[in-house]
Amino acid sequence: MPPLMAIEFLCRVADVLSDYLGGLNEDVIKDNFIIVYELLDEMIDNGFPLTTEPNILREMIAQPSIVSKVLSVVTGNSSNVSETLPGATASCVPWRTPDPKYANNEVYVDLVEEMDATINRDGVLVKCEIYGEVQVNSHLSGLPDLTLSFANPSILDDVRFHPCVRFRPWESNQILSFVPPDGQFKLMSYRVKKLKSTPIYVKPQLTSGGGTCRIDVLVGIRNDPGKTIDSITVQFQLPHCILSADMTSNHGTVNILANKTCLWSIERIPKDKAPSMSGTLVLETGLERLHVFPTFQVAFRIMGVALSGLQIDKLDLKNLPNRPYKGFRALTRAGEFEVRS
Amino acid sequence: MFPQFGATAETLSKASTLVFRIGTDAHLYDDPEDVNIAPLLESKFDSEKCEALKRLLALIAQGFDVSNFFPQVVKNVASQSLDVKKLVYLYLLHYAEKRPNEALLSINCFQKDLGDPNALVRGWALRTMAGIRLHVIAPLVLVAVGKCARDPSVYVRKCAANALPKLYDLRLEEHNSAIEEIVGILLNDHSPGVLGAAAAAFASICPNNFSLIGQNYQRLCEILLDVEEWGQIILIGILLRFVIAKHGLVRESIMFSLCCTESSNSGKDGSPTEISIKEDPGFLCRGNNFGLDVDVSGDNDLLASMISRCYIEGPNEYLSRLSYTNRGPELNVAQFTSGKSNNDMKILLQCTSPLLWSNNSAVVLAAGGVHWIMAPREDVKRIVKPLLFVLRSSSASKYVVLCNIQVFAKAMPSLFASNFEDFFICSSDSYQIKALKLEILSSIATDSSISFIFKEFQDYVRDPDRRFAADTVAAIGLCAQRLPKTANTCLQGLLALTRLEFLSSDIESVEGEAGVLIQAIMSIRSIIKQDPPSHEKVIIQLIRSLDSIKVPAARAMIIWIAGEYCSLGDTIPRMLTTVLSYLAWHFTTEALETKLQILNSIVKVLLFAEGEDLWSFKRVLNYVLELAECDLNYDVRDRARFLKKILSSNLDPQGLEEEANIIPQHKELSHVLAEHIFGGQTKPVSPEPMNCRFYLPGSLSQIVLHAAPGYEPLPKPCSLLCDDINLSNVCEGTNALESAKNSDFYDTDDHGSLSGSLDEESTSDYSRQDSITKSSISSGGDGTSSANDDDDNLDPLIQISDVGNACENQNGVSHSGSADLGELISKRGLESWLNDQPALSSASTSEPSQVSISTARISIGDIGRQVKMKSYTLLDPANGNGLKVDYTFSSEVSTISHHLVCVEVFIKNCSSEAMSDIFLQDDESIKRSYSADQTIVATDSSLESHNDIPIIVSMEEITSLEPGQTARGIIQVRFHHHLLPLKLALFCNGKKLPVKLRPDIGYFVKPLPMDIEAFTDKESRLPGMFEYARSCTFTDHIGELNKGKDENLVIKDTFLVICECLALKMLGNANLFLVSVDMPIAANLDDASGLRLRFSSEILSNSIPCLITITVEGKCYDPLKVSIKVNCEETVFGLNMLNRVVNFLAESSQAHL
Repeated sequence: MPPLMAIEFLCRVADVLSDYLGGLNEDVIKDNFIIVYELLDEMIDNGFPLTTEPNILREMIAQPSIVSKVLSVVTGNSSNVSETLPGATASCVPWRTPDPKYANNEVYVDLVEEMDATINRDGVLVKCEIYGEVQVNSHLSGLPDLTLSFANPSILDDVRFHPCVRFRPWESNQILSFVPPDGQFKLMSYRVKKLKSTPIYVKPQLTSGGGTCRIDVLVGIRNDPGKTIDSITVQFQLPHCILSADMTSNHGTVNILANKTCLWSIERIPKDKAPSMSGTLVLETGLERLHVFPTFQVAFRIMGVALSGLQIDKLDLKNLPNRPYKGFRALTRAGEFEVRS
Repeated sequence: MFPQFGATAETLSKASTLVFRIGTDAHLYDDPEDVNIAPLLESKFDSEKCEALKRLLALIAQGFDVSNFFPQVVKNVASQSLDVKKLVYLYLLHYAEKRPNEALLSINCFQKDLGDPNALVRGWALRTMAGIRLHVIAPLVLVAVGKCARDPSVYVRKCAANALPKLYDLRLEEHNSAIEEIVGILLNDHSPGVLGAAAAAFASICPNNFSLIGQNYQRLCEILLDVEEWGQIILIGILLRFVIAKHGLVRESIMFSLCCTESSNSGKDGSPTEISIKEDPGFLCRGNNFGLDVDVSGDNDLLASMISRCYIEGPNEYLSRLSYTNRGPELNVAQFTSGKSNNDMKILLQCTSPLLWSNNSAVVLAAGGVHWIMAPREDVKRIVKPLLFVLRSSSASKYVVLCNIQVFAKAMPSLFASNFEDFFICSSDSYQIKALKLEILSSIATDSSISFIFKEFQDYVRDPDRRFAADTVAAIGLCAQRLPKTANTCLQGLLALTRLEFLSSDIESVEGEAGVLIQAIMSIRSIIKQDPPSHEKVIIQLIRSLDSIKVPAARAMIIWIAGEYCSLGDTIPRMLTTVLSYLAWHFTTEALETKLQILNSIVKVLLFAEGEDLWSFKRVLNYVLELAECDLNYDVRDRARFLKKILSSNLDPQGLEEEANIIPQHKELSHVLAEHIFGGQTKPVSPEPMNCRFYLPGSLSQIVLHAAPGYEPLPKPCSLLCDDINLSNVCEGTNALESAKNSDFYDTDDHGSLSGSLDEESTSDYSRQDSITKSSISSGGDGTSSANDDDDNLDPLIQISDVGNACENQNGVSHSGSADLGELISKRGLESWLNDQPALSSASTSEPSQVSISTARISIGDIGRQVKMKSYTLLDPANGNGLKVDYTFSSEVSTISHHLVCVEVFIKNCSSEAMSDIFLQDDESIKRSYSADQTIVATDSSLESHNDIPIIVSMEEITSLEPGQTARGIIQVRFHHHLLPLKLALFCNGKKLPVKLRPDIGYFVKPLPMDIEAFTDKESRLPGMFEYARSCTFTDHIGELNKGKDENLVIKDTFLVICECLALKMLGNANLFLVSVDMPIAANLDDASGLRLRFSSEILSNSIPCLITITVEGKCYDPLKVSIKVNCEETVFGLNMLNRVVNFLAESSQAHL
């Protein structure tokens, strides 16, 4: 069996478990060991994956919810195994629960993007790309058929699809046509390469000599995306050869964590001044100057903007009894955003 | 510090979590035993049973053994509640193997559940029943699976497919054809959900039975997109193997590079390229200078052809091919097909290309692998973007994907050349990933991208992870070697680095810094090697920096460079005097490796020196040698002495002329020697022969870089003949399960095959009688020995008993051997479930449902007398002054200790004089006794040591042996090892002759008489890792059969001859007990397949049984394929035994007769 299959399956198990138990750690597994046993038994048989589709699993083995918990305490009877086989196992769209009923039909499409960027020592943008996901949350009755099209699909460098997406329409017209699973799922993921700029800049400066090192970091907005940039943090690992560090900032808080990680949380950039952090690092005795340089990891979040510029053109729904509510959102956050010094 | 606070905090957090834990099973996990579980299991309320079972599972999860509840739990299998059922199943699967007898109690319930209207119940029952891995219920499971494979519910069919590998793992060979047939049925299924599981079953049961795929190939390709993702991964692999086996490799693909260029050129102007350029302008816009046709020829082709060969040949073939240069059979052109004209190939590529967009990275990689192997060269680039996209997943899968990309990039650098940015390193990458990325970067760098890559490398060198920095430096060296144009830039950078490093004061103080420096010098050295004359300045700079570089390894390397290129250019020879005196000056303070290198380098310089320099060099060398001879380290002293000796003529400080005249020849010789050792200028190394192995993309073996268990290379191209595929139902006729049941299951269109198999049945009956008569004839005229036997021995020579339970009523000679437990366990219940349709006639119910090939069991009575012992030579008369000693291993068992093996020794005097005082002794004990002042007799001393077991219990001393006389004696030997020979000393006429006694693992066992039931019972208890199998070819019988023909004697039964040959060979080479011989009774008299011999033995030293089963395949008059299976609890012994058996069986009879 290919190793990647095993890795992928384990990731899937972890996903399903954390979806069921609302987190994944030792205590949660201990508390719900019966469900974990039952899930594993259903997911893998003789070393080969059996049922990994979350929708089918959810019907076979009930998710622990507040109601079921209370019910089990009151009645002392806690059945979480379904009495019959989920209908989806037999259908041609195994990811969809057959015939769900909703009073309000609604579907939400979210563009969630992560920006990966590398800025080298000279301040040159070496690599800047977006990894994005189209996340859909659908609560639609019956067996709807959705079509999603983008205004500018040509900017997409590469894509990966949920099994529900039909390949042919994408190949010919770059249209996503699919029968959605019920609830939250990742419809597609995409990559947009070779972006020209980043929304914020981070400029570290290190000068060392005489056994100490002076460090200055400047952060500011380069290209205003039009929405507020929040949750900005800058983080870096102090090199091994540093004995102590003394850091201050004119905005936000600076913390040096136990594992020699320095974390500067800025949150929002104020209008009147550019945030900066400065400090001195004391080197190990015997070292004149610093010869290894840390890499700064930057995190931020921008609500309401997809930095790749990808735009959803329209979402058509067929096969629905009444007009559903459609919602669109976008979010960009930093992925592997690195600034070398 | 404040325990009470800690405690309160703990209780607080406990209290807070308690709120969330209400309603979960947490309390059951925390104290599962706070109530008595046993009465709960007996309760009549399902909820109480549930609770008890949950408590049991909690105990299992915490590692307690609760198998003592097994009987009570099994009772609950009959419960109607699905909750209880599920929990019972979980428990049952955990302990069934441990409590086989009680597990059988549950079978009835499973069979009832299999008929349940609820598909979920049927599926679970089947899964659990198949999960109880007991041999005795295998026939029942097989029938159940066969039925479920036709179930209306997709889920149940899927469970049936999943149950097949479990059944197959039990290794009941008689069921294999039936299992394969069910695989075929499931592969015919129309539901994509079932196909995935069926593909997995196919891959683990009969991966080479391509006839099953051939029937469905097109449909499987078309449905591939709808199959669930896990099935897709397996199915892609199967389809690829099938296409390769049927059509061979693709002529336009990268695998076809032996007669290449024109095909790829013609492919260039094809339409697919045009389309792809239109699709993404970014891909080729970086210019054609590293377009596809740059590296079509040259090294990469060599690599590609090697890769394609590696994909096809298995590890065994690779090992048998000794070196890289000694190439294996070239793939000939006939094994390639044009991918454009071949429909099957086109379909596969078409159907796998959308999968490159799959969400599952394993699917992407599998589809990418197909394109890599099959797609035309210009289309291979389709896989680039998806593979790079997959890199953005978990770090484990990132590593796997990078490992595969690395191979692709090495074979076809142009593929990834324009995507070099994707391999730039992130600080969050693990070290392994960073190293892989560096390696890929250095192999895909091109002239246009190298500047960007170097810029990156400069950043990496300053990374806090110094190991990674050192790797970067090595990668720079690799880049410079690949792209000679950049060599100068690289050298400058590296030199700057060495200067930079030592500027940062004490290098030793910082960890890992030394590694970077050493790596930098190594890279410089490898670049210089490529073209020494143009890098003269660099060498000078390096030598100058000797003063500041302190790391011993780096210094040693620079000194090596100085010595190696001492005659290069003008400046270096002039510097040498200074350099050498500097080195001599510092010699005493240097580290070991530097010292050795200084010695070498001075000698090298000396050999190239001329004129007045020579004299000063000699002085330096003399000085250094003197220092070295007094060095503390013996390596240095050693080297100094060696050099002094070899250079004795050169070294003398007084004029060399006279010296040379006195012993010119001697001088010549040592000088030549010295020049060969030190003067051989290293040639610019040719690109290293790539001795790395390649495995199929995506396989585990490719990651671990050796053939992992279960790795299968691609089948031989075009190995599948078209007839095989068209001959659709190959195994139909012989399959007994089918023939017994097909009236039950098969529709009207299968009546043909039903009648066919009935015919088969009758012919086999006929042949059975035939063989009986034959063997009786043969026993009558079996030469003298058997005739005598018939007289004085009431045992018939051949006993025939039938194994198939079908024939009990036909020839009731003996009762059926393998008591079929399937019959004991409610055969009726099973039948009643099976017979949904009107019951079969009584005749057909009595038909066997399990046995696939009927066999007759014979026992060969007198085989022991014909066994010839093989004799080995201990001492040759040539070495032993006319004394010849032979030995054979004896089947006797030592009475003294079970560690001793009896060996029969024949001592013959071949000389013309009498010999006296001959005796054998253990070599070591002699030494010991001599050292103990010879007061103790040798045997005594050895008796005392080694836990009272002597190494050798010798025979009595032979006082004299006349010429031509032979003496015989038995010695008992305790070997230290199964394979290593034992050194003995043979004394004769007072002289000691060293001899070696080679052990034979075949005699480390003694026969263990048992009957066939006991044998099968023991065998079934030694499954899995205690079972080892190999196969070989056996040819002895051919000579025997032909001999019979030539002499025109009474014709012996061919089967019998083969049996005898095999049995004689086995018993002549190992101390075994022949348990049984099963003969096939088939329509084809010429087909010996199915012949099976069983031998039993037990290991002398620890009485562990060791069982050997030999199964024959092939035609009587051809070399037979013999598969040998050893079941033994002691792994090493079993494997050695197996190898020994294979060796002597494969050995031709001519050698031993």
